Order: sequence, then C-alpha cells, then structure tokens
Amino acid sequence: MIEVTINGQQRRIDADPDMPLLWVLRDILGLTGTKYGCGAAQCGACTVHVDGAAARSCQVRLGELAGRRVTTIEGLHPEGRHPLQLAWIAHQVPQCGYCQSGQIMAAAALLAAKPNPTDADIDAALEGNLCRCGTYQRIRAAIHAAARAQS
Amino acid sequence: MQNATLTRRGALAAAAALVLPVYAPAQQLPNDGLAPAPQPGPRVGAPIAYLSIGTDGRARLLSPTTECGQGTHTAHAMIFAEELGLPLEHFTVEVGQPGPEFRRPPLNEMNSGGSFGVRFWYGPFRRVAAQAREMLIAAAAQRLGVPAGELTAADGRVTHAASGRSLGFGELVEAAMALPVPENPPLKPESQHRLLRTPAPRLDIPAKTRGAAIYGSDITLPGMVYAVTRLSPVFRAELDSFDRASIAHIPGILDVVPLPHGVAVVATNTWAAMRGAQEIRLRFKPTPHDTLDSATFSARMREALDRPGHVNRNDGDVEAALRSAARVVEAVYEVPYLAHACMETDNCTARINPDGSAELWLPTQHQDFCQAAVARVLGIPRERVRVHTTLAGGGFGRRYGWGAAEHAAAVAKAVNRPVRLIWTREDDLGQGYYRPAQVARMRAGLDAQGRVIAFHFKAAGPGSGTDLRPYLIRNDFDPTAVQSVADTRYRFGAFRTEYVRVDGPPIPWIWRSVGSSQCGYFIECFLDEVAEAAGKDPLTLRQELLAHDQRALRVLNTAAEQGGWGRPLPAGRHRGIAYVESYGSLVAEVAEVSVTDGMPRVHKVTVAIDCGEYVNPDTIRAQSEGGVVMGLSAALFEGITMKNGRAEETNFGAYRLMRMAEAPVVETHIIRSGETMGGVGEPPLPPAAPAMVNAIYAATGKRIRSLPISRADLR
Repeated sequence: MIEVTINGQQRRIDADPDMPLLWVLRDILGLTGTKYGCGAAQCGACTVHVDGAAARSCQVRLGELAGRRVTTIEGLHPEGRHPLQLAWIAHQVPQCGYCQSGQIMAAAALLAAKPNPTDADIDAALEGNLCRCGTYQRIRAAIHAAARAQS
Repeated sequence: MQNATLTRRGALAAAAALVLPVYAPAQQLPNDGLAPAPQPGPRVGAPIAYLSIGTDGRARLLSPTTECGQGTHTAHAMIFAEELGLPLEHFTVEVGQPGPEFRRPPLNEMNSGGSFGVRFWYGPFRRVAAQAREMLIAAAAQRLGVPAGELTAADGRVTHAASGRSLGFGELVEAAMALPVPENPPLKPESQHRLLRTPAPRLDIPAKTRGAAIYGSDITLPGMVYAVTRLSPVFRAELDSFDRASIAHIPGILDVVPLPHGVAVVATNTWAAMRGAQEIRLRFKPTPHDTLDSATFSARMREALDRPGHVNRNDGDVEAALRSAARVVEAVYEVPYLAHACMETDNCTARINPDGSAELWLPTQHQDFCQAAVARVLGIPRERVRVHTTLAGGGFGRRYGWGAAEHAAAVAKAVNRPVRLIWTREDDLGQGYYRPAQVARMRAGLDAQGRVIAFHFKAAGPGSGTDLRPYLIRNDFDPTAVQSVADTRYRFGAFRTEYVRVDGPPIPWIWRSVGSSQCGYFIECFLDEVAEAAGKDPLTLRQELLAHDQRALRVLNTAAEQGGWGRPLPAGRHRGIAYVESYGSLVAEVAEVSVTDGMPRVHKVTVAIDCGEYVNPDTIRAQSEGGVVMGLSAALFEGITMKNGRAEETNFGAYRLMRMAEAPVVETHIIRSGETMGGVGEPPLPPAAPAMVNAIYAATGKRIRSLPISRADLR
C-alpha cells in the first residue's frame, strides 16, 4: 500500500511498486487524460508533475512516489481554466489532441519556473514532447499568450 | 485516394435518410464513446440518420467520419448550424454505425480518407439541414396560423417578425416530424451566411485541454481486462509457438491468446500485460525475406526501372520527342518506407454480448473494414458487430487498418470478458502499414529555346493499395504510384507516366496524401533540375508549364509573392518553391531555409492554397501548419530501414519526428476561388518537402535525390 497525493487528494494505492505511474493513473485510478505514447520517455505524451516538476509518468514507478505530490492534466486547475488551458482554446491548438495533455503539463511546469519564457526556453522545455499533428506553432503562441495573461 | 466525385446518387441517398427523431433531453448521453444506441422518444418515419433535434432544442449529429484532428466534426456541425439557424454550441457530434447512409461512392465504404470528410458531405448535409429547417418552419406556420413565407429560422427559433411571436426548435420538433419532407428546400443564400467561412472554434477542443476527451485507448467497460500484443519482428511472419510458462512469474497475467502473427498477453492491468508481452518467448515461422535489408530492396526497385511497366498516360511520342530534344535531363529519385507514427497506437476495446453479438470501441478510420474483419474472426454476420467510433489520436490513413480490432475480438472471445487491447509502440512502428518506399526515374527533353517538349515519369516500388484493396489492382498498376503526376496541370508536350510494381515485405499502406507524398517530391525537385538545365528561374519554369491555367497560376504566384520569391534575404537564407495539386486542392509553398554545418533549418514556409469553396478557414490554416510539419519531418528525418526482414526503427528514439525547436513558422494564404470544394487534410503536405529540398540546393548546391535528408551529407 503506497500513499500518494494525486491532484490534491490523498490516495492509498495497492499495486505492484514497480508499476509505472502512467498505468496507475490510467488503469487503477481511471485518470485517462495522461496518455501512453511510447513507454520509453521518447514522446512526452504521459507528462505529469511530480512535486511540481514535469515528469514522464511511464518512467516513474509507484514505489518511488510515497509521500509525494502528483498532478495530472485533470488536476491542473479545478475547472480546467488554467491560463494555458484557456490559451490552448483561444489559439485552437489541438488537432487530434492526444499529445496535448503532456504538452500542457510540460508548459505548465515551464511557466511555474519561468513566468515569461523566451522561445528558446519553450524549445528546451518542450523538446521531448512530440506532436504528430504538427501544432508546434500554436503551442508556442499559446504559451506566450498564457504568460502574458498571468503577468 | 479514390477519385470519387460528388454524385447525385450520394446526395439523394443522404436526403432519403432524413428524419427529425425526437428524444427526451434526460436521455441525451455524453459523447464519451460509451453511449449505447440512443433511445428516442416518440418518433415517426425512417431510422435515425445524421440529425436529431431534441425537445430541448439541442441537436445531435451522427457523422459519417471519424474526428482524427482535422476538425471535420465541427465543420459538419457548422454546415447544419448555418442552414438550420441553430447556434453551433447547441450541437453534439458522434459517429454513426456503419450503414448505407454513411457510405461514400464509388466504393460505398464508410471511411475517413481522401480528404473527403467535408467536401463530400457539404452538399448532402446542406440539403438535409434545409429540409429540417423547412419542416420546422412549416410546423410553426401551423401553430401560429401564419404563412410559412412570413417566418424565419435563426438562433434556434422560428420567428414571425410581423407579430413578434416565436417558437423554439425544441417546441416544434414533434409537430415537424409529422410533416412531409420537402424534396427541394431552398438553400440559404450566401449573403445570409453568418457562420460558413468564418473561423469558428472547434467543438472538440475544450475537452482536449482538460484530459477529458475520450480516445479508443481510454474506453473502460465493466469487468474489463487488459491486453497487449507482441507481434512478429519479421514482417508478416506467422506465429509458430509460444511459451506460456515463460511469463507465469508475472503477477496479474490472466491468459495468452495466440494470433496469426504473434500473441496477445491478457492481464489485470496494462502494465502486467506489457511486461508479459515483452518477456514472453515466441517462435515464428521462417519467411522468404528473413535476411532482406533496405539496400537490397532499394537495388531491386532500381533494377525494376529497366523493365517495362504499366503506362497509364501516354500523350504523343515521348521517345521520339526525347530523341529530338536539344537537351535531356535525367535523374533517379528515391524515398523510404514511412510510418504514420500516430501518437495513439492501434487499439480496440471489444465485448462479446451474451447473445453472441459483438461491440467494438475504437478510433478507426474505416468502420466497414473493421466490422467485416471482426465478423470474420467471430464467425458472425456483419450486422451483429456494432462499431462505436471514438476520437482518434491521429489517423493519417493508418486507421484504415483493422489489426487491433481483429485482435481485440479474438481475445474477448477467448477469455470471455470485455477487453481493452493496445498495440505497443514497437508493434505500431514495426508491423508495416507504411507509406511505400519508391524510386522514380524522370527524363525531360528541352528544345533549343529551353522549353520542355517531353517528360517521362517512371516509378517503381510497392503500391499503397496492394494489401488494402487488392481487388482494385489491375495489370499490377496502382494509380497512387503516379498520383499528382499523371493528373498534373503542367503541360509538358509529349508525356508518359509509367509504373513497375515491386512488392516488398512490409504491408504498404496509405499515408497522409498517399502517392502525392512521394510523387510531389520527385517531380517538384526534378523540375528544379530541369529549370537549371534550361537556364530558368524555378518559378519561371513552372509559370511557363502552367501558362494555360489561370487558377493554378494564381496559386503559384500567390505563394511566390507572399513568400518573397526573388526578394533579398538575410545572409545564409535561401528559398525553394513547389506546387502540387492533390485531393481537389491546389497548393504552392515557398520554404525559407539555412544550412549550418550540414544541418538544414527551415525558418518559414509560406502556403498558398486554393481548395475551392470551404467551411472553416482556421481548419485550413491548422491543416497547412500540420501538413507542412509532417511533410518536412518525413523528408528531414523519417524512414523505416529493413534489416533481416524487420524494421530497425521501433520507437521514437530511432524513428525521429520533427520537434518544437525545428518547426518552422507557417503562413497560410487562402485563395477563395469559389470552385468545387477540395480537401484540406492532405493537400498542404506534398509541396513542403520539395520546397525545402529545392531551398537546400539553393543553399548548398547539392541535389538531394534520396530521403531522408538526415542520411545525406550536406557539409
């Protein structure tokens, strides 16, 4: 039994401590907003926050999470109105949308650390988040817009 | 990929299916992919199709196409919203069950391909919506005791302006249902359009920012188990044997189900199933290509260029014209196999019901193929397979495949439980379903004045349709192998297109823009070589070849002007241009590129697109941005290489996609020609690679005749 705080809620999870957080979220907790893309930290679709930092949930094992805080896309903002989420809608960013939970979580960790990121900051922070639909240009614009909205 | 045109038959089929079924708002179900068949309230007439309006005044559309990210569902709602006079926000869009009203001629398939999603359904949907509007107006005329001609429908209400009275659509649907369906309802004149051709926000986007959108791999059924496949590393190899005991030590493993080309490991959670799939010992039967590699296959395709192929266009005497030419330019180009690499791997959730019928939940682009395949696997009639189409995490043609659907059905039957089955990324990239590798030899003849008098285009390699629809291949000819060339608007004088079929081990498939993805690169880069030989600017040569065609010239010239063709650039930057028509749309692009230490960087791509009439301009922009990125990504980095009959690239570390820092600024210029509506999901892709490659030549003096560029030496 491992105690983890997930989206602000204390959870006691009875599962294989080797199970990656990705599958704990999706199969055990029913939080399917976090996606499987590669299982090898090569695509970023499964990005969540662990203690506020962006992490690939396919690489974080449940056993490492005792006493730590996990935030998923479902918990980024109670009403889904984080400045990035609003900017994503305003800029009509998603196409298929499958990678966008991970993109938004990576961008949210960036904005928390750097409220006014440069293009180079965005390139670096989102380097590992692939988007096959090619929405990069709109992601960049939406991050800048969210940064402006926050300041 | 089919050249279906708008047919009268399609429009009539659509109209015949019109009804306005009434349902009680309390029964309205969320669009979560889990909704069972709607339980309409009192209703009259034909079965549900396309449109239902509830007593709450909200509309539910059943779309014939899957939302793969191209915004087709929003476009469908826009067409209905405009013609009905109902706000866009009042629409919910789901995908219908396979049935005649959702099939598209000429092949009569329910699919989401060929960039037909909006252009095919635009006319039929307008008509159905107008019929519904006229019925609502007629019902209001009866209720209010005024002539129908004095009533207007807007904002979800029918209004009698003279008396100020109005009725909501929801109040009228039951009465409207009892009325005859008008045969030829008037369509709203363009001057009254408020929504069409405006950048309306997409209906599916808010949920996609909250992790609330439900894809195939998110479906959860009561009592469900989890399955993960492990399929043969060698293309098409059949399973010989498997060792169940080799994974008995993994907690949570429930079963191993053999499949034709591998196994599905079934477990209480995905992780256990995935571990089992990785660790299980399997043996596969030998194949004739167990030692084949890419270099050997490439040589096989190049040798085929010396054999006669199927000639499908032959204007004039090409050989005589080439003999008479003052100069002949010749080159061989090559492209590799490409994976779709949809971010969501192939998957399906399946349940066998107690009565033996089956239900599937999956992100398919081809409901009919999945339904038929599962019916075959289960030995039941097709009508007993229900197909619930979810959102798709990318499609690009990959989801015409029915592999995961077959696997999930086989597993659900074997374990007698509902199952969510996913393919690993390794299987998704390694099982074929590739844009075929191909080579092309091109020869152009120039006269003494540098005019093109002859052009011979000869391709060799696998066709995209030999596994998908083998029954359509005649004379070993796959028309996608010469797509966007055989039907080009360019005038070359004597002109021949020819193709030699060479089958390869991987399953070839349709990949965003299909044959245009490679043929656009072949012809547009070769034309730059021809221009150079003729001593002409690349734009000038294309203008000459399109001089007879004002529509094409306008597209080409718009890209050139907006992309700054011929104007000065910062030091180190160079431009390239390309023009490719596909799926009913004309697209020209100018790429701005620099090359530093052998590394190309695309700074900007200017797109000019004439897709005729259109619905949502922001969708055109989004598809231009996405198509350019996918085209550049493929040309720069992507290619499946074969070694010992298997793919060497099975995850994103080796199968490299374009990333944030590498993506150019894309600037889109939409030309509203008012011509017949064309597609937008595919057409912006083909010109991107040749525009970039032509710019790289301008920067380095090196012709890249084989992709991807990352394997070329540009230093």
